[in-house]
Formats: sequence, C-alpha cells, structure tokens
Amino acid sequence: MDEIKILISGDKAVSVQMGEEISLEVNRRVLMLRAEMDRNPIPGVTETMPTYASLMVHYNPEVIRYRDLCKEIKVRAAAMQPLPEGEKRIVEVPVCYGGEYGPDLELCAKLEKTTPEEIIRKHSQHDYYVYMLGFAPGHPYAARFAEPYSFKRRETARVMIPGRSVVVQQNLSDLIPFDQPCGWNIIGQTPCDICNYKKEDPFLVHAGEWIRHRPVTPEEYQEIRARVEEGTWERTIIS
Amino acid sequence: MGILVKEPGIFTTVQDGGRVGFQQYGVTPSGPMDERAFAQANLLVGNLEGTEELEMTFSGGRYLFEEAAVIALTGADMKPTVNGEPIPMYRAVSIAAGQELVLGFAVNGCRTYMAVTGGLEVTPVMGSKATLAGKHLGGIDGRKIMAGDNIGLTASVPALKDQAKRVFSRTSYPRKEITLRVVPGPQNNGFSREEYRKFFWYGAEITNECDRQGCRLQRKEPVRHIGDGNIISDGIAFGSIQIPPNGQPIIMMADRQTVGGYPKIGTVISVDLPLLAQARPGMKVRFVEVGIELAQELYLREKQTRKQIAERWGNA
Repeated sequence: MDEIKILISGDKAVSVQMGEEISLEVNRRVLMLRAEMDRNPIPGVTETMPTYASLMVHYNPEVIRYRDLCKEIKVRAAAMQPLPEGEKRIVEVPVCYGGEYGPDLELCAKLEKTTPEEIIRKHSQHDYYVYMLGFAPGHPYAARFAEPYSFKRRETARVMIPGRSVVVQQNLSDLIPFDQPCGWNIIGQTPCDICNYKKEDPFLVHAGEWIRHRPVTPEEYQEIRARVEEGTWERTIIS
Repeated sequence: MGILVKEPGIFTTVQDGGRVGFQQYGVTPSGPMDERAFAQANLLVGNLEGTEELEMTFSGGRYLFEEAAVIALTGADMKPTVNGEPIPMYRAVSIAAGQELVLGFAVNGCRTYMAVTGGLEVTPVMGSKATLAGKHLGGIDGRKIMAGDNIGLTASVPALKDQAKRVFSRTSYPRKEITLRVVPGPQNNGFSREEYRKFFWYGAEITNECDRQGCRLQRKEPVRHIGDGNIISDGIAFGSIQIPPNGQPIIMMADRQTVGGYPKIGTVISVDLPLLAQARPGMKVRFVEVGIELAQELYLREKQTRKQIAERWGNA
C-alpha cells in the first residue's frame, strides 16, 4: 500500500493524498479514509471532502493543532477497512440527446467520424463513475472506463450554457447544475434537477455512485420535467 | 417591520459564519470576506460568534429602520449618517424606529459590515444564512439585496447595557501595498527553488478581477511551473494561491470553488486574509513565507482576545 502524504493547505485544512493518479482504486482509498474518519471522528475536524485522489480535511486549530491532526489521520489511515462490496449504486439519469437539447451532438459525431446514434450509444451504454462533486453545488466529475471519445474540449469556451446540460469530452461526462461558462460539447439535457436546494437531499448524484444515462424522447423529457417541477419525481437507483 | 432597503449599494449580501459540511457536495462555505471586521461587529452588538450580518462592497446604500435596533458598523469607512447626522463606526449605536441609515462609497478599505443585536430574520438553507449569489443560494432569495427588500429583525432591542463601553479602535487599511504571510503548500514542490523564491521576492498587483470568489493578481514575470501547470484536481481552501498555466496567481476567497486543477504554491494565513478582503485593484501585494505553527499561533491568539472581550462585555 502506498504511503499517504499529508499536504498543508493553510492553517485550517490539510489535503491527504492517497495516490498520484485518477483511478477507481485510489478513489476508493479516499472514500475508505473518509469512512474511517466518520467511524472514529477526530475532535476539531469540521468537515471532510473527497476528491479524485485526496481527502481534504478542514479543521479548527483551536481544538487540534497541525501536528496532532497528522498523527490522528495516520491512525485512521492505518485502520481503514475495505468498503462493503456489492453495493454499486447506479443512478439513472434521463437524457434527451441532440436537437435544441444537445446542440453539439452532430459536431461530436463529425469529430468522431461516426453517427449521432453511435455517440449516444457509447454515452448511454457505459456507466460513469462519480469521482467527486465540486466546482458548483452538485456538479459531478464522472468518467467511463470503455470506448472513450477521441475529441477533447471545444476550441473556444462558451460564455454561458444552460443548467441541466450534459457535456462530454474523451471518457468524461459532466452534468451542469446551473447556467455557467463551459468549454465542453453539449450532447443533451436532462429534465432532472442536478441541484435543488428545496429538496431534503438537494443533489441528484453523490461521490462514489455511478451514473447511467437513459435516452428519452422530447415528449418523455417534457413529461419528466413537469413531474420534477411538481416535486413528484424521484430518482431511480439501479443496484 | 424590520429594515426596509431603500437603496442596496453595489453588492450587499447577508453573510454568517459560513455553510459547514457541504463542501463534499460542491457547496462552498461562503461567509464574510473580512472575518475580523465581521467578528468585531457581532461583538459590539453582543451577538454570538457567526451571527448573520450585512456585507456591503464598495458602497453601502440607504436603510429605513422600521423598529428600534442596536447596530455596529465595521470595516471600510463609508461615512455613515443617521437622518443626516454622522454616526461613528466601530461602536454600538442605537437607531430609533423611523430613522434612516445612509452609507456612501468606501473611502478606506472596500467592505463594510453591519451587525444588528439579535441578528436578521433570514431562512437558513443547509444550516446557514450565508449568500452564495453566483449559485442562487442562501441569504435573501439567493441573491444580493435589492431596493424594496424588507429584512426582519430577530429582536427589537433599543439599547444595550453599558453600551458606551462597546467600542473598538478603528482599523485603518493600507492604500498602496499589503503584505500577506503565506504557508507553503500543498503544491509548492511544483515549482523550482528559484521560481519559488522569486514568488516571494517580487510582489504582484491586484487586478480588477477581484471579487468574493477570487482575487486575480498580475506579475511582471509569470511564475513558471516545473510541469504543465495542471494537477489532479484537489481541495481549495480560503486563501489558496493557485498558479494557473499562465503563471498569474489567483487567491481563492470566500465564494471559491471547492476543487481546482491548478497547483497551489501556498495559502495566505487566516489572520492576514482580512487585509486582502479590504484591498483594492491596483494595490501591490507582497508575500512573506511563514510556518504552519506560527500561522496557527497567531489565529489562536486573535480568537482568544475576542473571547476575553466577549466575556468582559457580558456577551452570551
């Protein structure tokens, strides 16, 4: 097992590096450390945040100082347990591809020298793993592990793209919670709220879950959207 | 009842101690830019630490008090008046029902805090009243305040016991240059020894792109990376100094994004962040390296002093 590295992020946080690559294995170690810190909390730690390869630990130096915190974190790292197996949580995310919903679908097909149908197949047939949430509330950083697209970002970023856009490059796919600038290609839109502060759990997906994109027609998109707005739509978990 | 906003100022938001526990979902804590002025205002009016206040940026606005209140103004000097008469900052002041508070443009510093005894009636979202305007979260309908907003008061307190004793000496902010102490890391090893030294030898200038999210700096000579200027995205703290591939530093502030893919050469220490929060575009920034132990010692001392003041004034 790799040695963990505790990096100083100012006087109130440390970044605990569990590896130096983006991989399922390293990310699971990040989640294992978090689970251990939840099970055996360190007084003074105010919150933890998993990222690709490190766990950000925010703490109050009035309660625990840097050196003692490092010791405590190392104790937790040594006691980490494998995460329970067989609990692959897949969140189904309906997506309406192409047209006004995904203005770049045709372009992506051209870049990939294939058909829009093939772009959709690759996007909806493979599950995407959510490494972390970040950048904006509820914004997943997700990746698939087979048949990556070859195209990367657009040459120039758009100043603003609509919330609920589904954007892609290579093996990555993000769900955009709110209107924001973006340099990736938009292949579709989901009728689901990716972040809705009014809900008890505001977030559509969470770190460590998987996303399965389900192609829907514009009619079904409108139907689901109406239910989302009524507050009667619930996310589907496939396990 | 409460406070009727007649003019809102350029960018005024409700901020409290910040939203804790949601960074794992991509929700940044927000909270005050100048934590020191914010804490002083709450101490002056007898509030608990972290009680919500108004944070006004560059200009203040006009506020009609529809009920009596005790307020305190700290931070940038916006020449406050009540019904046309100047009132002091850094002091607990009684406002009578029907009086109008007017604040102009900041003449020293750029952010002013207004605390009201008891706090403001704002619905918390995810356990906090702090506004994250860019993501429509918290505060008044997830936005900066607007003319016509009516902000309720949790209590209507006309005066405090020993109110005259509730005074701080006013803070005078530098006008040309600030010095920020920096703890190295987490990615200081992404820079050669020479580039790292140069980061501290040569200062930088604050650009116009400076807001609650981050403060972009301009250096004559960009900071050069050993690699391509990208890392595996990891967590960002208040005060993290990102160096993007173009070599121009960005210091991440209260509304920062939670994760980022640029190397962070160091982090501004907590007790120096207020200086940056009050600094204006065009000012020079110099950096001085300090160790984590000193940074935490300074923070603890400041918190200790605040606790003693709270006890002396009989704050709850």
